[in-house]
Amino acid sequence: MNIEVRGLTKAFGPITAVTDLSFEVEAGSVTGFLGPNGAGKSTTMRMMLGLVAPASGTATFGGDRYADLPHPSATVGAVLDSAGFHPAHTARDHLRVYARMGGYGTARVNQVADLTGVSAFAGRTTRILSTGMRQRLSLATALLGDPQVLLLDEPSNGLDPEGIAWLRYFLRELAADGRTILISSHVLGKIEHMADHVVVIRDGRLVTTGPVTGLYGSATVLVRCAQADRFAAELMESGVQVERPRPDLLRIHGLSTAQVATAAASHGVTLREITREQPTLEQVFLHLTGGSR
Amino acid sequence: MTALPAALLAAEWTRLTSTRLWLWGLLAALGSGAFVGLLALAGPENFTPPLPGLDTAQGTHVLLGLLGCTVFAPALLGTVAVSSEYRHRTITTTTLFAPRRWTWLAAKLAVYTGAGLAYGAVAAIVAGGALFGVAVLKGITLGLPTVTVAALLARIALTMAVYTLLGVAVGALLRNQVTALVAVGAYFYMIETVLMLIPGIKELYPYLPGGATAALTGFTYLADALAGQTGTSAAHLLSAPAGAAVLVCYALIAIAVAVAAPLRRDIM
Ligand SMILES: Nc1ncnc2c1ncn2[C@@H]1O[C@H](COP(=O)(O)OP(=O)(O)O)[C@@H](O)[C@H]1O
Ligand SMILES: [Mg+2]
Repeated sequence: MNIEVRGLTKAFGPITAVTDLSFEVEAGSVTGFLGPNGAGKSTTMRMMLGLVAPASGTATFGGDRYADLPHPSATVGAVLDSAGFHPAHTARDHLRVYARMGGYGTARVNQVADLTGVSAFAGRTTRILSTGMRQRLSLATALLGDPQVLLLDEPSNGLDPEGIAWLRYFLRELAADGRTILISSHVLGKIEHMADHVVVIRDGRLVTTGPVTGLYGSATVLVRCAQADRFAAELMESGVQVERPRPDLLRIHGLSTAQVATAAASHGVTLREITREQPTLEQVFLHLTGGSR
Repeated sequence: MTALPAALLAAEWTRLTSTRLWLWGLLAALGSGAFVGLLALAGPENFTPPLPGLDTAQGTHVLLGLLGCTVFAPALLGTVAVSSEYRHRTITTTTLFAPRRWTWLAAKLAVYTGAGLAYGAVAAIVAGGALFGVAVLKGITLGLPTVTVAALLARIALTMAVYTLLGVAVGALLRNQVTALVAVGAYFYMIETVLMLIPGIKELYPYLPGGATAALTGFTYLADALAGQTGTSAAHLLSAPAGAAVLVCYALIAIAVAVAAPLRRDIM
């Protein structure tokens, strides 16, 4: 089921949270929804789910707005940071209430509890659950209707490394089942190995969208040499883009290691070190969202 | 399918019965019934100022009317039903499971009408039992015929159900649990009483929830006492059926408000 977001716009008083945001999420893909804190990720997801009314624009799942879906909780599951639990409810009570609401049986409550590891603490009141347990319970609730689409708003926030590892593994399993997953994050590392696509926003506007591989851009070559001054000047003269992060270090854009080595030899420059440098997704992300800051 | 009324009703029922709210409701209902029983045991003739005894029509009326004064308790229960969803932020998940928001509100109203009736029935049965029990104990006959007492108790039970609905509406409107509870409490304990002191507005009293309740339960002690203190004449209450009609109108307004209020609101 494709997700289509068209021209979503929302302001809270004088603060514009999201401006004319459009993107698509392909069925069966895992898409990272990236942006720094305050970029408008949560607001966008809430608008997609009909919790927040957009000033303009629409979001559809397979052509239908969330509220118009024939069976919303069986189509789209959402884990939102703002969702809470009644403190006097046990984890199981919470699942039972929403299983009733969606028309799912007790068997399904047990299934999702087993699947997410909630079974281990199903009898505890939600008041005393740890962040990790709460996140599992949220996931279990979202999975009650076995939805094909999942919207996850910073699901790894507040989790310890173990929790994050579990979550990654779990989401990979869900993705392997062919689910469409949109997962937001303000850091790329958490979803780097999962997402096929990314949607990057900043200040409520789209920065870029596309396959993850496209984000990497071209590699650079890092060289350390004694005559850095002269080499940099020679390269720039021939139209090559060169950065100089340290006095003896050059970052050369647009040339392969072989081309750099050849150029060095022809200029009589002695290389002490030569490395091909692939920027991390994190760097790309910072570059894209950091702009001129 | 999510909007299936049966599923939403079942969910609300589970929500009510899986927390202690139902237990507090039951205790409050038993308590308000028992409270009337205790007052009967003490005897209205021993109140300050002394009132006619249980064996007089007025004395029995006063005690039944005091039961009618506890209707704010089921109203608070109705308020908690909605405001706790906002307080504990389950409203997000609830709305995700039933995105047509009026549907879950309607389910709450339906379940809490039932709960309000049950509350009223428990309170009325306990109070009724206590009144008759005390009468037997003291070797007197109640000042009102049994049928009249039973009818008044039934009216009070119905009034409690209506107040539960009013409470649900206030909760849906105000969202903040403390604000909503304070508003409901302050209204029944202070605002209506203060309004009765204002000569011009006093004429409105019969049409306010408290005035309509008084008409329905035949309890005019409060109005009379205030009139006596301030030297003004008491506001004339409506007839019992008219009081009932006014209360039903409030309930309908409450339902409309409760259903309409969350429709366009952003749920953060
Ligand atoms: N309820 C609200 N009232 C006012 N401003 C809000 C509200 N919710 C979000 N904002 C503002 O909207 C912008 C986007 O917020 P949010 O969607 O939460 O970003 P993100 O999830 O990417 O961190 C921020 O500037 C935030 O301060
Ligand atoms: Mg956020």
